[in-house]
Amino acid sequence: MATIRGEQGTVQFDAAGSSNATIVGTRSWSLSITKETLDTSVHGDTFRSFVGSMVSGSGTVELVYDPDATGQAGFLEDVVTTADPADATFELFTTGTTTGTDSVSFAGIITDMEITSTVGELVIVSCNFITSGTITSNLE
Amino acid sequence: MAAADLNTVRATVESRLAIELASSPAIPVVFNNVSYAPTPNSSWVQCLLNFGANEYLSQGLTTDSRNRIVGVIVVNIFTPAGVGSGANYTIGKRIRDLYNRIIVSGVYFDAPIGPEVVGTPAPEGYFQTQVRVTFEFIEEL
Repeated sequence: MATIRGEQGTVQFDAAGSSNATIVGTRSWSLSITKETLDTSVHGDTFRSFVGSMVSGSGTVELVYDPDATGQAGFLEDVVTTADPADATFELFTTGTTTGTDSVSFAGIITDMEITSTVGELVIVSCNFITSGTITSNLE
Repeated sequence: MAAADLNTVRATVESRLAIELASSPAIPVVFNNVSYAPTPNSSWVQCLLNFGANEYLSQGLTTDSRNRIVGVIVVNIFTPAGVGSGANYTIGKRIRDLYNRIIVSGVYFDAPIGPEVVGTPAPEGYFQTQVRVTFEFIEEL
């Protein structure tokens, strides 16, 4: 086993959901997965009990903006897709780029895009997303 | 893409200065690791380039990734002592204008610092000021 540093990571994406490709210039990504719970406590119980319910996820991908970088335009412009069918696919890698290895994959929707240009600094793009449907975790 | 060629970056920085100071009025300029014996009571310029810290800009290890390479140019301007500072600052302006917020061959030059008067000129016998310009280069792997 080995610890992993952030620069080993990668984000792959395809707006049409057919063939994910690396987005060049990703600076960071984050993913938060949440499981709702249902209260199954009944009369007479003295301690609450729960069962797990719906699972969902959300997160952020941050890019060092470069209009010519492979994959960036398709990614950040997906936010303006109207009537979005959530057909875009994501795969977030902690290390490497081998599909299904050290990664989390899902379909999702980019819900928010922010591009920031500041004197003396790199232009940065931050995109927030939510997952839609199954989240496949291969963080083994 | 390929790893940055630091010698190309150096040449980009230094050739800009060499071309400018070769134009009229021409002023001798000396770079790192070049011997030079200045003529007394003359004006001349010393340019010292140094690369500094590198930092990760993006994910991806050795493919589809980017680093930021930063550096600094230190330009020492020497003019005759005891005759005022005008000639020195005239050269300083030429150097400052040469790099001020300019992007050349992927090298981003920041706003220059100086010319600042150097209290103890080295070598002695001159009036010395110093212009410093930080720059950065984005390496694309």
